[in-house]
Amino acid sequence: MTRFPLGLIVLIVVSLLIFFGMAQRALDRMRLTDKGALAVIVALIVGSFINIPIPGMRVPLEINVGGALIPVALAVYLLAKAGTGKEVTRALISAALTGVVIYFISTRMMSGLGEPSGGALGFIDPLYVFPIIAAVIAYVAGRSRRSAFIGATLGIILWDAANYFYMLQNNATNALKSIGGAGAFDVIVISGILAVLIADLIGETRERLQGGPSSEGKPDALLAGLRKPEFDKKDRKKSLADKERPDGLDQEEVDRLEN
Amino acid sequence: MKTKQFHIIVGLCCILMGLGIIGRLSFAERTLPAWNPASILAGEEVDHSVGKCINIVDETGNMISQACRGVATGDEIINAEGKHYRVVKVDKDKAIVKSLGVDKRLLAWNEFYTDERLAMAAAAPKKGAVGVYHTHSAEAYVPTDGTESIPFKGGIYDVGQAFVERLKEKSGGEIIYDKTPHDPHDNAAYQRSRRTATKIMQQNPIAMIDVHRDGIPDPNYYSAKVADMDVSMLRLVVGRQNPHMQANLDFARRMMSYSNKVHPKIVKEIFMAKGNYNQDLMPTALLIEAGTHTNTKQQAENGVALFADAVPVVLGIEGGPATQAPGQGTGGGATGDGGSGGWKAVGWILGLTLLLGGGYILISTGSLKGLSDLGKEFTNYLGPLKKIGTKKSATKTKDQPEKTAGNADRAVIDQRDDVTED
Repeated sequence: MTRFPLGLIVLIVVSLLIFFGMAQRALDRMRLTDKGALAVIVALIVGSFINIPIPGMRVPLEINVGGALIPVALAVYLLAKAGTGKEVTRALISAALTGVVIYFISTRMMSGLGEPSGGALGFIDPLYVFPIIAAVIAYVAGRSRRSAFIGATLGIILWDAANYFYMLQNNATNALKSIGGAGAFDVIVISGILAVLIADLIGETRERLQGGPSSEGKPDALLAGLRKPEFDKKDRKKSLADKERPDGLDQEEVDRLEN
Repeated sequence: MKTKQFHIIVGLCCILMGLGIIGRLSFAERTLPAWNPASILAGEEVDHSVGKCINIVDETGNMISQACRGVATGDEIINAEGKHYRVVKVDKDKAIVKSLGVDKRLLAWNEFYTDERLAMAAAAPKKGAVGVYHTHSAEAYVPTDGTESIPFKGGIYDVGQAFVERLKEKSGGEIIYDKTPHDPHDNAAYQRSRRTATKIMQQNPIAMIDVHRDGIPDPNYYSAKVADMDVSMLRLVVGRQNPHMQANLDFARRMMSYSNKVHPKIVKEIFMAKGNYNQDLMPTALLIEAGTHTNTKQQAENGVALFADAVPVVLGIEGGPATQAPGQGTGGGATGDGGSGGWKAVGWILGLTLLLGGGYILISTGSLKGLSDLGKEFTNYLGPLKKIGTKKSATKTKDQPEKTAGNADRAVIDQRDDVTED
């Protein structure tokens, strides 16, 4: 490998490590175990190299496994595992809203620009604008980082769908619409991860300053959602070790939170 | 609780500091355009995509450069002579720069490429592909194409073709030319072209070039006579909102330095603009502006062809029949010297990650303990350590019931902390 100087190789390795480290940290909060999150990252990387062409389309269309299918599958998994119907509705509303806002901003406020870019929001790259929008909408709609992930992922898929319709309308048969084609580095994945981290930051700061999550009057299903899968395992182990209090912690903790 | 709040405030400060540094470097003190919701609804901005121009002048009013909309405070310019400027103020149609002196790295590269001994000492030519694509595929040249924008098949494709053909001739290596369009012509086009760029990267290129044309109205700004041909000069653009920026900038410097040695004045300047331009994907990614929409397409084609003469040497992949002249060995691509931009970028990334990540973890775990717990979390993957850890906690919980009720409370609080960490 004499092609790149050492500095550049180190640069690439360091940025990859940091990116995937961040991704692991974010996915960790998506109802996945630590190892599950790692597995998703491996799937993202491997899936980046697989494009599935959709046959019979007037404008050629292909969908990337790592960049689109896996994030969407994760979003659907989160929706299926959501605590209440309200949580699902809120996540879906925030996804639709994210899609509309992103479309509006990218085609109206960031279009018709000078070179190389500009416009009303031209001072920041869309790569970073999209996740900020998704995170803020999801936080306002559902106070949830999972909903931030769902909102960002599905919202950007909607934005892509709108772009595909634009291509169909203009009969751009020389185009090839790729959804999620940049794989692990696609705007879909990056937005999903950044949106989780941003929503996390907003939420944690507020909750910590307030002294813990407010759980009064919240359904048990949602409170259970505050827990990591690993904690359940831990609890089971604890209750085995401590026979005097069989699965007592769970109830106690909810009681305490409600006080 | 008070120490917790203190930790959170420290965390917030860390994050704000990190963001402050990024902001200072990328888009501080920008003069935003007046807010006009009606124009957004009417989609009027689209008409302004070309033709609106900002003059970039120094304190005494000398013209330094021109750019179409979107100049921001903090943007930097290095011109062909190596003069380095930074935009300090943006008015409605005027931007004022202050001089930062001479860019020493560019001069060093000039020196490097002039010194024949160094060039000859460089290693033998290597193989390597170069990727070429167009993010703004609608861009066209008014005098030749009749309009400045042809959706999905702008005149920019002909310019790209001219560039690719010359590159093939000079480099002997493979040139990956991806013609996928990414319309409409907006800023989000970079998110669509990101997919194309990644596809090119899967073929393992050593550099990636995104070919554009500028949108300033004055054709004379780019027009020139180089190598007895009417050409439009080029501007190289490096995105500042990009963690690889220092490395990309160094690559741009090498390109400008050597191209201007082969064909003086072919590259007008390096413009460091806000934005990312998918340059985070590769340290050797570059955006070039081949003239502006008021130049003829022929001028632009001539310009990129002359630029293509220099690319293989800088990348160290020359080998075509036309480049057998002695003394033109491989360039910086083969030397360790080219990595200094890379090291600088590594430093920036690590520094900012420590600041932002540290602040984030402080907030998200609520204590300094969180930082050490994070370490534990990672070592858990290593296996045996996990067993020791769980054994310890198991013995702890065994002891607890024998202690006072206060301790039980403490355990509950700890558990709650665990829960809120999720």
